[in-house]
Amino acid sequence: MGNRKVFVIGLDSAPPELLFNKFMDELPNIRRILDKSIYGPMKSCVPAITIPAWMVMATGKTPGELGLYGFRHRRSGTYNDVWIAHSRMVREKAVWDYIGSEGRKSILVGVPPTYPPRKINGFLISCFITPDASKEYTYPPELKWEIQKLVGEYVFDVVFRRNERDKVREEVWEMTEKRFEVIRHLLQEKNWDYFQFVEIGLDRIHHAFWKYFDEKHHLHEPNSRYRDVIKNYYKLLDREIGETLKLIDEDTSVVIVSDHGVKGMKGAFAINQWLIDEGLLKIRNPEILVRGRQVRFEELDVDWSSTIAWAWGGYYSRVFLNVKGREPKGTVKHSEYESVREEVAEKIKSIRGPEGEKWKTKAYYPEKLYPLSIGDKPDIMVYLDNLSWRAAGTLGHPSNYLPENDTGPDDAVHSEYGVFSLHTPEMNGKEEIACSIYDFAPAMLKIYRDVNDPWF
Amino acid sequence: MAGESEKERKHTTVSIPIQLYEKIKKRIKGTGFTSVSDYVTYVLREVIASLEEEEKEEVFSKEEEEKVKERLRALGYLD
Repeated sequence: MGNRKVFVIGLDSAPPELLFNKFMDELPNIRRILDKSIYGPMKSCVPAITIPAWMVMATGKTPGELGLYGFRHRRSGTYNDVWIAHSRMVREKAVWDYIGSEGRKSILVGVPPTYPPRKINGFLISCFITPDASKEYTYPPELKWEIQKLVGEYVFDVVFRRNERDKVREEVWEMTEKRFEVIRHLLQEKNWDYFQFVEIGLDRIHHAFWKYFDEKHHLHEPNSRYRDVIKNYYKLLDREIGETLKLIDEDTSVVIVSDHGVKGMKGAFAINQWLIDEGLLKIRNPEILVRGRQVRFEELDVDWSSTIAWAWGGYYSRVFLNVKGREPKGTVKHSEYESVREEVAEKIKSIRGPEGEKWKTKAYYPEKLYPLSIGDKPDIMVYLDNLSWRAAGTLGHPSNYLPENDTGPDDAVHSEYGVFSLHTPEMNGKEEIACSIYDFAPAMLKIYRDVNDPWF
Repeated sequence: MAGESEKERKHTTVSIPIQLYEKIKKRIKGTGFTSVSDYVTYVLREVIASLEEEEKEEVFSKEEEEKVKERLRALGYLD
């Protein structure tokens, strides 16, 4: 047990429906692992978003305990002065920290957020929040030169929300091929006990090409030449994974995991426009909304002294109440906080779709979800129609219901269930299971433990 | 010069409660740590490194932050 190794294949946004079902027969290498694995859907955290989900998985702590509720957070005492999540905001121990304190070595590639690169017992290449490849993006710093020599300029991400789809496809392919080259180099050249990488390309491909693939999508274009891009990308991943697994010995455990799933986007809902309609958000420059152009929240002249709530958009929506003593010009008294929150949440839950159809909207309170909620927690976390509708924070739209995304083409949203599979050297058959993102870290640590181990 | 000067010495002694010492001694049995001092040094280095990390200046310069925000917006994380 002492020499156990774990290799973790992280596929951002891989859903069980595609990986374990629809595409399974065309992915021989992945299938070969699954045939000797326990595997199944893995319930993500709330919010089911890349940051915080990968670190929730690695630490076993909730977003509330991490104080990470998404990519951005407010600086305290301000309305909209935001900071971007980064590696130093993760204060809890991750799998690699626990095993590192026993002298075991880890290699991490692209696990969000790992920029700026932090000291680990091993080697690290940072994730897609790295500003660009001119920055220090490795631990130890000299590893960067090794990577550059190997693949030239390392690619962290591809911005997909643009209309040049061929270019997006080409760039994602290049990024993924380079990443696997780096992964294979590291796993052969360095010592490691735990190896985890995250390929973000899958998420980008899902978002950029979903409507061509999903026949039920409201913007589906049948017989498009992009119809098979998603499937072909899965096949690329399968080939690269196959090549990579050839380099791993049979005593190594292999894990495939994703941070959340994906599904078709039904549309975007302009949540701040709706808050204005409901009289919860008051502005002094309403004329800006009828000029036929998109308006960012920062362009509003908000009358804070009479505003009750405002919201942030994204795959899920964060709704903030304007609380007396907490916000600079708060209006909601402490004694009324719970009743106002309940009222706003009820209103949100009663929002119906463009055709008057009922939505399965969920409104969560951080203190109810998590044992602890530190940092800049939103007052209400909203899944519009259970994430099928994005929240648009922008305004100035002719309707609150936008058939397309407000900030560039995007046809997919997140779903709550990602994937998990685990193969250990003892496993010869397959077994379907269901698990949660909170099972990941304990499961990894257990692989390194045995009963004689004093850390058990 | 008699003996090592303070500068040349590589180690020095600090006091910790005996109960804590015994606890650590028990804890490190069978691990890679060969002595209580070994373990205490490891733990303190970790603590100091994380404190130093927190004290470092801003992670993103203004320009970098704008760049990252713009990209995250284009990726759909900030709307």
